[in-house]
Amino acid sequence: MAEAARRDLRVSAKVAVLVFPGTNSEAETVRICRDVGLDAESVHWSKATSLPTYDAYILPGGFAYEDRIRAGAISAHDPMMDYVIKAAEKGKLVLGICNGAQILLEAGLVPGTGAIRRPTAAFTRNAPSGKFICKHVHIKLSGTPSRCAITAALPNDAVIPAWAGHGEGRLAASMEHLEQISSGGHLAFVYSHSDGTVNAAAVPNGSALGCAGLTNKKGNVLAIMPHPERDAWNFNHSERADGKDILAPSGGAAFFRAFAKALS
Amino acid sequence: MLHTVAITLKIPDNTAFSALTALRRLGVDVDRVERADIWQFAGPASGNDVAASVQRNESLFNPNKHALELRESPNPQSGEAWISTISATHAVAADASAAAVHHVGWRLFGRDGTPVPPATLKEAVEKLLCNPAIERAIT
Repeated sequence: MAEAARRDLRVSAKVAVLVFPGTNSEAETVRICRDVGLDAESVHWSKATSLPTYDAYILPGGFAYEDRIRAGAISAHDPMMDYVIKAAEKGKLVLGICNGAQILLEAGLVPGTGAIRRPTAAFTRNAPSGKFICKHVHIKLSGTPSRCAITAALPNDAVIPAWAGHGEGRLAASMEHLEQISSGGHLAFVYSHSDGTVNAAAVPNGSALGCAGLTNKKGNVLAIMPHPERDAWNFNHSERADGKDILAPSGGAAFFRAFAKALS
Repeated sequence: MLHTVAITLKIPDNTAFSALTALRRLGVDVDRVERADIWQFAGPASGNDVAASVQRNESLFNPNKHALELRESPNPQSGEAWISTISATHAVAADASAAAVHHVGWRLFGRDGTPVPPATLKEAVEKLLCNPAIERAIT
């Protein structure tokens, strides 16, 4: 399937999936990238100097540096992020998922309304429960697909299924910065119901603006909290185990096909 | 009465070491970092009663790895910043107080072993220890 996808997309882009100490979602992230035709591999924190050779970067989920100080705080200052920040400034694509999204906010890459490494927002403790959630969710494109290069190939109002697995996924910022996020079109995804309906009941963590994902001014960096790579194959759904091709793509794969399209 | 309790680790503090490493990488002139959970309790109980209550609360205090100090001052020490999540009020230790405010205390020391000057502490807070979107720092 990966070879066929690569031929279809004519993708030659190399994607680095960054592994910090404590990252735990790199395997499935690499796998779905390969399934949609990308030349992806994990890059260990000790191999940071190899990062400039890649065309795009994914910061996967996990608990990088055990979330010491705050989720993403130490990682945002890791030498790997020096390369990622330079690459983002050059316009290369950067995607952060869950803990990767938290790192991108701590690094100031998204929403990008302040200086680099001076965060203006955070994905912080869920509300009102204050507890970790593991829940199947849907996220809906908030703006036009072309606002963010990674989502440009998705249809208008695309709804992507994913798994939310986080204790700190609630967008929080000052009113001033929330206004900048709204008016600047930084809100890339909001939580929705499966039919695309957007309301408070669809938001699992109290996130401001119903936010599930943010992009930067240029639209080349995207931070999303839920995991589409955990809804990428039928085997991610126990009810599909009987009589269906468990290796067939599931809804979350559409998100990564759009990512691959952006690199083709 | 406001009582201030500091809970520190007796075992090596990996988080403080990570903070030290990151701060040095950011060019902050610091040689040692100490971290404490600072709990402030308002209520009629005495300081000793509050301390005893905290020591009985297994979610706050584990005698195998924690040390507890009842502080005289309700403010940070020299070279110390208290970081708190905005609007973080927790209902804990109900037998001693109605509510408590939690801070993470970071105390930084220079190469001569003394607490860092205010300018160095401010630099550490701004560069790493506090995300102003969700936290406030008291120095």
